[in-house]
Amino acid sequence: MPDYPIYRDPPEQCRTPDAEERSLWGRTLERIADHCRARSLFVLHYCTGCGAIELPPSMTSRFDLERVGMQPMVTPRQADLLLITGYLSVKTLKRVILTYEQMQGPKYVMGFGSCTINGGMYWNSYATVKRLDQYLPVDMYIAGCMPRPEAIQQAFLQLMEKIDSGRAQNWKEYYRRYDHYLGEQQALFGEQFHTPTDVIGEARHYSLFGPETLGEHTAKLAKYDLYHPGQGAVDALEVKR
Amino acid sequence: MNAFDLLLYLALATLLPSLLAPKGRSGGMLTTLAYLLQVWLLFSLLPSVSQGGSVAACLEFAAFGHTIGWQLNGFGWFFALITAVSALIASAYATGGWERQCDHASRLHSLMALNVLAMYLLLGAADLISLFIGWELVSWAGFLLMAAPGGQSVQAALRYLIYALAGALALLTAIVLIEQSSGTIQLDALRGALASLPDGLSWVVLALVFVGFGVKLAMPPFHLWQAPAYGYADGPAAAFLGAISSRMGLFGLCLVLVQMVGLERLVGLALPFSFFDAQSLLAWAAAITLIVPTYIALTQNDARLLLAWHGIGQGGFMLLGLMLGNDLGTAGGLLHVLNHASYQAPLFLAVTAVVYRTGTADLDRLGGLIARMPWAYVTLLLGIIGLAGLPPMNGFVSKWLIYKGLLDAQMPLLFVAAVIGTLGTILSVYKLIHNIFLGQLRAEHREVTDAPWGMTGPMLLIAGFAFISGMLPGLGLYLVEPAAAALGLPMPSFDLSAIHAPNGALDMLVVVSALIGAIGFGALLFLNAGRSYRTQPLDNYAGGHFLTAQTRYQYSHHFYAGLLRVIGPWMRPWLVALEQGSGHFLDLASAASRGLYYHNGLRFLVFGTVVGLLWLLIVV
Repeated sequence: MPDYPIYRDPPEQCRTPDAEERSLWGRTLERIADHCRARSLFVLHYCTGCGAIELPPSMTSRFDLERVGMQPMVTPRQADLLLITGYLSVKTLKRVILTYEQMQGPKYVMGFGSCTINGGMYWNSYATVKRLDQYLPVDMYIAGCMPRPEAIQQAFLQLMEKIDSGRAQNWKEYYRRYDHYLGEQQALFGEQFHTPTDVIGEARHYSLFGPETLGEHTAKLAKYDLYHPGQGAVDALEVKR
Repeated sequence: MNAFDLLLYLALATLLPSLLAPKGRSGGMLTTLAYLLQVWLLFSLLPSVSQGGSVAACLEFAAFGHTIGWQLNGFGWFFALITAVSALIASAYATGGWERQCDHASRLHSLMALNVLAMYLLLGAADLISLFIGWELVSWAGFLLMAAPGGQSVQAALRYLIYALAGALALLTAIVLIEQSSGTIQLDALRGALASLPDGLSWVVLALVFVGFGVKLAMPPFHLWQAPAYGYADGPAAAFLGAISSRMGLFGLCLVLVQMVGLERLVGLALPFSFFDAQSLLAWAAAITLIVPTYIALTQNDARLLLAWHGIGQGGFMLLGLMLGNDLGTAGGLLHVLNHASYQAPLFLAVTAVVYRTGTADLDRLGGLIARMPWAYVTLLLGIIGLAGLPPMNGFVSKWLIYKGLLDAQMPLLFVAAVIGTLGTILSVYKLIHNIFLGQLRAEHREVTDAPWGMTGPMLLIAGFAFISGMLPGLGLYLVEPAAAALGLPMPSFDLSAIHAPNGALDMLVVVSALIGAIGFGALLFLNAGRSYRTQPLDNYAGGHFLTAQTRYQYSHHFYAGLLRVIGPWMRPWLVALEQGSGHFLDLASAASRGLYYHNGLRFLVFGTVVGLLWLLIVV
């Protein structure tokens, strides 16, 4: 057994829904928005490994992902879905976390191939990240080495259905349990790890603050003084990485 | 003694404060006050110069059997007013703070006052000799003002001087030809007098006048001198020169082409073996003046040079409008003189404010200053909207008039040329505002603040006028009316906000309301949504890289690379090479001829005698 707590999906029914969620108007709007979101997914590919080779067949004329409203997007600010297509090393995971935090909610993550699930054929490598969902909230995994385009299609359709029915809410967990995720990231990268994105400020701004947003790990961010305008923000980032 | 005499004396007296009090700010303040008085005097002259009237000065003398005098009419008054206001703004700006970084402030003030005086003497010329006196004074005063900062500006000013001397010789020849053929030098007597010249002589006079005044207007192929000469001048002087100085060429050109020759005669003057007549040839020369310098501006990496190149291009716009001869073209061409001054001055002043704070105008070394210098940004934004000719600024009105004038005159190809020029303007002004104010703030500019209010105030004031007179174009057209009347050109009917044409009117209040309404609607949506979250600038996507203040994540060098790849083959600097080549040839020739007589008295004597005899032989 590892000595860190293993993440499990939090029990949904225990959470007190906030006022906006309870209102009929808000729920109706959210329902319509979810319906639209599911049909216009902009995909940001993080092509770290061999999985990317299966994407061109999925995109091009035979399977043609655009007919279900999916298309590639080059920046995280406009993307909805982050696709991790293969193994992640300790170095590349940092970049994935940075990219994920820069995406605007609602945002979804898909782990692609066995490597993101358990390390795959790199299971005994010291430099490979074994489980993606320790560090980021993953909405869906596709098993296989590599998954065929048919499997990719199937996964996308399932994700769309999950979004449409309002069940793809994992991205909110990143804000509600930020302390937990940051703890995992710090355990891997060292205690000085931080990103330029103000996750805590965003959680507060969008009312996504949860009981685990702040904690012992986020307390270590205070010294970087990243998010107080004007002071030190730029200097703190000059730390060599 | 009338108000025009007072104006000339006051312009002379404006030289004094900065000469008498070279240290401290009192000289600059008194100079600014004097310009304010000049503006007031000019407005008091308005009733007497409107409806084609004129005011004669008591200054006159007799020479060569002619009476040489000065007399201000509506056309000269219009340019004089722009001169005085430009000098007022530039002087207030310099006094308000700029001169703290300048070791020759009093020289700047006195030279600018000298320029204003010279321009009044040119604009108030009553005959060809006083016109030439004014012209030479303007050239020399302009040279001194351009050369004031020293260094590279002296090189640029000397280059201007060579062009100006060549132009002056051409002008003098033209004056002699005009005097010989018509027997008079009085401008009033010369109205329409050149229309009866034979074709051959007309072409010679036109060519000489085109060279003489076209040099000042920097029309191709004489366009190389202007941008460095204006751009490298002191900031306030650059604003003054850019706003009005080269318009003196337009003034002279219109005086001869429109007033003496007449546009009907130009149309009748067909170029042998071609489809061109003199009017369309001049209009195409204006269109080339519009396009070529504008696309050269696109490639500039110095903000001041970029603006100065645009000044040349917009001069082409004015001449294009005035060559049409119809009411909309006239109103557009003359109004563009006023409008160009009202946005070019704040543009130069805003760039100067940036130089004042950051020490550079290099577009590759600036960026992100919007957060540090918001007022300079607002000024520059208003200025570039005017320069690009987009609503709601006044540049839109004058360009609309010229476009519509071109269509009314049934010149669709020139219309397309004007649109191509405007496209280049829009592209390069975006480069200007992007590379200075948008994008990434450089680490060395983190502590920069806006320029002092003494500088920001004047530039905002004139930019505000450019906005107001865009919303209410009647204000500008009211000033244009005496000029058009003095030239004998038609004007469209207008009221405070609208211009009426038989086939379509322009009401700027409607345009501005629609624009502000649309922007306001967007702003309401944005403000009411209230869900956006402001991130810090380094929280920016760079392919997964962590950005630091040292990382240049946004590149502004080699802007519009794709466009320049397409138009690059047409932009080979062959004219620059030709200019340099002829300059080197002249150097060589002068060195060789000097070698003939230098250090040797006898050889000098022989050389001088031979040259003198040869000259006598040719003349006799």
